[in-house]
Formats: sequence, C-alpha cells, structure tokens
Amino acid sequence: MSSGSPVAQSAGRKSSKWHPFLTLFLVVALLACYPFMVPVITQVSFLQGVNLNFGITTLILAGLALSWDILGGWTGQNSLGHAALVAVGAYSVTLLAEHGVAPWYGTLIGMGIAGLLAWGWGSMTFRLRGSYFTLSSIAVAEILRLFALNESWLTGGAEGKFMADLPKLFGTFDLFDRKVEFYVALSFVTLVLLFLHWLKTSRMGFYFRAVREDEDGAMALGVNPAKAKSTAFIWSAMFTALGGAIYALYLQALEPDNLMLVAFSIQIALLCIIGGRGTLYGGLVGAFLLGVPSEIFRAQLQEANLLVYGVLIVLVILFLPKGIMGALENGWYRKNHPLEKGGH
Amino acid sequence: MDVLTQGLQALIDGLLTGGVYAMIGAGLSLIFGVMRVINFGHGDFVVLGMYSAFFAASVLHMDPYLSIFLIAPLAYLFGYALHRLVLSRLLGASDQSTKLATLGLGLVVSNVLLLQFGTQPQTVDTSYSTSVWVLHVGTLEMRFSVIRVVSMLITAALIFGLNRMLFTSEVGRAIRATGQNRLGAELQGVDTRKIYAVIFGIGTVLAATAGVLLLPLLSATPTMGTIFTNKAFVITILGGLGSLPGAIIGGLILGVVESLGSSLFPLIPFLNNHFGSNYRDAYGLIIFLLVLLFKPEGLYGRTVKRV
Repeated sequence: MSSGSPVAQSAGRKSSKWHPFLTLFLVVALLACYPFMVPVITQVSFLQGVNLNFGITTLILAGLALSWDILGGWTGQNSLGHAALVAVGAYSVTLLAEHGVAPWYGTLIGMGIAGLLAWGWGSMTFRLRGSYFTLSSIAVAEILRLFALNESWLTGGAEGKFMADLPKLFGTFDLFDRKVEFYVALSFVTLVLLFLHWLKTSRMGFYFRAVREDEDGAMALGVNPAKAKSTAFIWSAMFTALGGAIYALYLQALEPDNLMLVAFSIQIALLCIIGGRGTLYGGLVGAFLLGVPSEIFRAQLQEANLLVYGVLIVLVILFLPKGIMGALENGWYRKNHPLEKGGH
Repeated sequence: MDVLTQGLQALIDGLLTGGVYAMIGAGLSLIFGVMRVINFGHGDFVVLGMYSAFFAASVLHMDPYLSIFLIAPLAYLFGYALHRLVLSRLLGASDQSTKLATLGLGLVVSNVLLLQFGTQPQTVDTSYSTSVWVLHVGTLEMRFSVIRVVSMLITAALIFGLNRMLFTSEVGRAIRATGQNRLGAELQGVDTRKIYAVIFGIGTVLAATAGVLLLPLLSATPTMGTIFTNKAFVITILGGLGSLPGAIIGGLILGVVESLGSSLFPLIPFLNNHFGSNYRDAYGLIIFLLVLLFKPEGLYGRTVKRV
C-alpha cells in the first residue's frame, strides 16, 4: 500500500476524537447490566438457556479467548494447549483452598506457576516455527493432562477435586453467589481488555506484531523474536490461569477429562479466531456469537456442541479470513477511506 | 513370565501395532509432502473409518476386514470432495488458514459422529478377535495376535501398492512432481489442483483404513480423534515430515516405545506406582518433544526448519 503515513495520521486524529477507552467503558457498562436483563431475556422461550450461568461461562470463555489472543493474535503463535494453563489456575486455587489459603492468594500463586510454566515451555519450543509450535503445545498439554489424570495423590485423579469452603471476598461477597461470580468474571474480562488496549500502543505490542508479520524482518530491526514470543506467552499464560481460577470458583469441581481436553484448548482458540485475531474485541465477540447459538441448540446438540465451532471456523476461514471483528474493521476503514482500495 | 519374555512379547506387540500406526502416519506425511499442509483432522478421519466399519458390521453384517473394500473407495471420494469443496479455495491463502480449515473439518466429523452414535464406546467382536498364534523358540513362548498380524500385512500391502503407484504410474509421477515444485509441474501440464485433491483422497483412505484395522483392537469413541492426530504427528516428526519410509519407521518406533514403556516400567521398583500403561500415550509425546527440540527435521528427514 502506497499510503502508510495517511493511515497513521488518520488513526491519530481518530483517537483524539473518539477515545478508545470510551468504547471499552461502554462495552463493560453494557455487560454490567446483563444480570438485570436476564429476567427479561429468559422470557423468550428459545432464549431460556441464556441465563446468569450462561453469562458467567461466556464471560470466562471470552476472557480466556482474549488471553489466548495475546499469544495467538498478536504474535501469531497458535497454541492449542491453553486448557492446561486454565487447569493450572483452577487446580492451584482448589488445592490451596483445601489448606486454608484464601482464593485471591491462591489465584496469584496459580498465575505465578502458569507464568513459570510458560517461561519454560516457551524457551523450549519457541526455537521452532509455525506448525511445530502448535504441535508441541498439544503435546505438552496432553502430557500435563495425563499427569493430572494419573497422579491422584495431587489432583484427585479422574474423580477430581471439590472446592473447599472459601472466605468471603472483602469480608462481604460470597464467592459462591452467582451474581458475585458474574462481576468477578466481568472484572477479569475488563482487565484483559485493558491490557490489550495498552498493548496496542506500547512498544511491546509493536514488537509482537512485527514478529507476527515477518520474523526475519523483525530480527533485522533488532527485535528478538524468541524473547517477544516468550513474553507474550508469559502474559497470556498468567491471564489464562487467572481465568482458570475464576472458572474453578464457578465449576466448584474439577475433572481433568473436562477441563484439560484438547477440545477445550481448541474451543478457546476458535472463539478468538472466529471473533477476529489481533483485534481488541475479537474474543469477546466470538464468545457471545458462538455462545448464544450453542445454548439455543443445547438440547439438540448435547455433547456435540463443538459442531457449531467446526462449521463456523470453516465458513469464517473461507469468507472472513480475518474473523468477524477483522472484517468489520476492514469494512469500517474502507467506508471512511473511500479512495484507498484493499483496506489495511 | 520373566523380564526377557515379557520384553520380547512387548516388542512383538509394539511392532505389530506400529504397523497400523505407520499407516496413519503415512497418510499425514503424504498430504504434507505434496501439499505442505498439516492435516489437523487426520485423527478424526481415522475415527470415521472405525465408525464406518462398526456401521458395516452392525447393520450390514460385514466382516470388518472385508468392509475395507467398501470403505476405502468411499473414503477416497470423501477426501476428494472435501478438498474440492473447501480446501482448494484456500490455495492462495496462508497455510495457517488451511490448517485451521482442516481442524474445523475434523471437528465437524467428530461431532457428527457424536450426534449419531453417542459417547459410549463401540466395538465389533469377530470370531478371531482373541485368537493367537504361538511360536516356541527354545524355552521362550511368543504370542502373535491374529488380528494384529493381519493388520500388519494389510498395512504392508497398502503401503507397497502406494509406493508402486507413486514410482511407476503417470499419476504418481505427477504427484511427485507437484510435491517437488508446484509451478514446475504446472508448466508441464499437470493439473495441480486435481493432484492435491487426489492426494487428500489417498490420505483419507489411509486414515480410514487404519481406523478399520484398529476397530477389532480398540473400542471406538467419537472424541478419540485427537489421540490419533497426536500419534500421527509423533510418527511423522520421528520419520521426518513428508517422507513415506520415514513414516513406516516412525510408526514402528512409536508402537514399540508405547508397548515397552507400558509393560517394562511397572517391573521397576519405586517407579511401578507412577509409570505404567496409564501413561501409554505420554511416552510417544515425550519422544516427540525430545525430537522436536533436538532434531526438528526428524530422524530421517531432510532439514525443513520452516513449516
């Protein structure tokens, strides 16, 4: 494209007129109203499944997809092993709660473990490129799943673990109350969105995107691709573990055969890819767009709920290669820049 | 049984199972070798083969090994059609798109099977399921499971036939040309889109046939596809992506490692409570990671750092 500088200028002008955080504020405010809209929504017969529990799971999935985006969308490393990191967060909180550690400290410890794991995992596998990283992420996650399944002294094995009684958050909020869980999940999504907003304009974010677009070119300009990928993976893993800890509060029972399957990793990745990789709100849009039809057809699909994902990913890859948000952004950009062809 | 007998028996079982694994790996490797695309739905096609054989056995009352003659042509048509309808539209796009499309197709296959057959494991019983041939060597007694030997022979025949096709026929020449240099092949008048579809069809046939051969050995569940996809990756990485003889060697190695790992670890004191047949699927993955880390081009492959 011959017009690199006008793009940058218009982006600068745009941000002064319409502050990016205003969008974020509106999105979060709208979501915060959700618990009050639930009684109205569930009046509609086919939307009966779209209740508060649906809101919590969808928000947690959205947060996980957004966390996946830090690595998958911004540095272009498709991980299909994020379920293992969810499990690290979930098991940390649950196992530490058994020993009387408050869940917020448990969550921090879980995030630390996940960060360390990602550091080791990344420094082993980021020498590999492209599909090799994806393959190794599946392998590491599968090994961790087999470990959780067989080392029952630690994880309770296939029967799983139940959440112990928890102290109240700030002394007043019961963490087993669905409304509290909803707002905890919403805070999680907001936190990841804030991080992504920061990433968009930070030096680190530019490193990430440079590595995604052209690894050799980035290296020539002094970016260390292995370090950039590793940093992205550590952030992604810590946020994923945070989401896992909140998911554990919601589930209250952990089983490796639900939480750690490759199918769950694929689900997290596909939510983000269908919604739009590397866009700010892709994961959120994907989670709601896929969540609602899955909920409506729950009775018909039963365990085959990933059918919707499979069909949609094929359609999205064929017709909207940048995902739904990517296509919307492109369309919006073309409308405002009618003289340029091709979008950005 | 002493350690020696048990070890030898595990070696034999491993080699025989490895034969079927080799066929799964060969399909993935062939598709990669020509199309430069990793088929993430490969394991789900194996499961599709298992369920087709189950369907043929339970509804049409066909012997699972005879149903290969019915299932293989159908699998070819299925793979050919999938490529023509979906994957051929992505030829100009990045290989990530094709990868994700195969992942999506695999999800569709496994979830349709889930809708149709439910989650409970399915298997077929044949009169010869449990029969064994026993070989006496001195004081040692070796057992060869009949179905494993038959599977091994069918695998060998198929891979031999495929190899002959690749190296003696005109289509085989076109396939090899496309794999070596797509543009060059096109300049020589090869319809490379058609060759891609043919290769995807053949890869699907190999996956589905492996599924049919596995059905009398394992019970099928719709979601076990990821395990097979994993195994296929392990095999092809071991043997080098895109190499057919490599896939055979990789398959045999994987079969032996899994079998020896799950039968010998329990014999070692201290470790016997922790490692055993429970970790059967992990041994292959650990080897896979080690190879990826230290020799990413595979044990026998040429150097391909970038996929």
